[in-house]
Amino acid sequence: MKYVVLIHSNPQPWGHPTSDFVAEHQALPKEQRDRLQSDFEELLGQMQANGELVGGEALADPATARLYRWTDGGSVAVDGPYSEAKEHLAGFFLVDVTAERADEIGRRFSGPGETVEIRPAMWPGGEES
Amino acid sequence: MWRQESPHVLAALLRRHGDLADCEDAVQEAAAEATVAWAVRPPDDPRGWLVRVASRRLIDRARSDRARVAREDRMKPAPPTSGTDDSLAMLVLCCHPALPRQAQVALTLRCVAGLSTERIAAAHLVPTATMAQRLSRARATLRDAGARFELPSVAELPGRISVVLDVCHVMATEGHVRTGGPDLLDTDLAAEALRLVRMMHAALPEHDEVSGLLALLLCTGARAATRVDARGDLVPLAEQDRSRWDRAMIAEGVRLLDRVLPRGPVGRFQLQAAIAAVHAEAPSAGETDWAQISALYAMLDDVAPGPAVTLNRAVAVAMDAGPQAGLALLEPLLELPAMRRHHRTHAVRAHLLELAGDPEAAADKYRTASRLTTSLPEQRYLNRRLTALDQ
Repeated sequence: MKYVVLIHSNPQPWGHPTSDFVAEHQALPKEQRDRLQSDFEELLGQMQANGELVGGEALADPATARLYRWTDGGSVAVDGPYSEAKEHLAGFFLVDVTAERADEIGRRFSGPGETVEIRPAMWPGGEES
Repeated sequence: MWRQESPHVLAALLRRHGDLADCEDAVQEAAAEATVAWAVRPPDDPRGWLVRVASRRLIDRARSDRARVAREDRMKPAPPTSGTDDSLAMLVLCCHPALPRQAQVALTLRCVAGLSTERIAAAHLVPTATMAQRLSRARATLRDAGARFELPSVAELPGRISVVLDVCHVMATEGHVRTGGPDLLDTDLAAEALRLVRMMHAALPEHDEVSGLLALLLCTGARAATRVDARGDLVPLAEQDRSRWDRAMIAEGVRLLDRVLPRGPVGRFQLQAAIAAVHAEAPSAGETDWAQISALYAMLDDVAPGPAVTLNRAVAVAMDAGPQAGLALLEPLLELPAMRRHHRTHAVRAHLLELAGDPEAAADKYRTASRLTTSLPEQRYLNRRLTALDQ
């Protein structure tokens, strides 16, 4: 099953890897930060080698977003960000894995000060009832 | 032609040189040469030609790479084997227990069914590069596990056969539920699974569960043409046009069951096949022998208990003994977090509540089921049921 792994974060300044720019993460001892970072890279490499990783991108600062809304019978464009929420979508991965593996990926991708969201993708097949 | 020959050529190479990745590369090179050479002069014996050229490439590779000299020593004279033994040994190799299920399915489609990486990727709705990675990791895992192209010992064989059966079953279910995919690359995984299980049945005609799985794939495969409507929506069993079910496939499945069922003990594939056969033989949905189906599900619940079996059993019991009896069977499933998050649990509850004449409660469960499903056609179906209830 395909899942998107959505990284919600608010790096200050905006940068990647996001963990380097998140206060909660910076507060950790260097050793622990290095370990979290190498864990993440190891898992990413493993997912790539296993043929689990379908794709993914790191996203630009939410301020670079353009928002298009329908107003008075026409579309109006304004500059982002989409919301004033504390966290923004900072990047995403698309993976093709079992539910158990998706859970493991979510746990290992998460870090202090960030939220990792795993959402299944809809698919065109179905079970016969 | 290539589809048919490639697994045999691969088997011939594997018999002498155990490494799957090396052998597949050599077979690929021979195939590339064939497209050029055969255009000029088609060979009398294509398989012999391919084996000869691929073997030469394999030896060239071993020689040209000094670091690989050690592998050349492993080249052994081929022991005489039959085609059916080869197919079985190849299936057992591809379904090696060191591999995750996903990789077992992909490798089987590649090496035994002879499908291209591109088609396997399309059938699983992933990019070709992703599938190529999956296949090469699978080959590396086999190499690390020291997996060999040979039939396992008598003690080990039953366990390995059972993995192969699971893989073929997963392949068939993945196949028969798929309704999307670009037409040109639309590979019928259910048909591939049927071909593979037929191959196993030819090698092991007296294996009851092999016969059971073959009967199951025949009895469910017979409904393939009626499972999806012109718009790509799922058609439930009760609403399928039974006049379009493939009678020859059903008859073949029933004949297999008639032979193995009396032998007992009866395994899960034989029981699932028996259930599919009862459905297949009912002249109309209304004339389905639900008492027999619910007895078969009770047996299945003994042999291979699990929440999915309980769910299907609840439907059968409801049809036989009334919706309340079915709903009672569902109660324990609601205690399991995984089943509470599973749309089918709520879809079945909704259906049984609708039968019990409680449209409000049914609507609530249809809504829950529709929210939880990740299948587009199922979501459309559940939303249709919900709308129909409101009217």
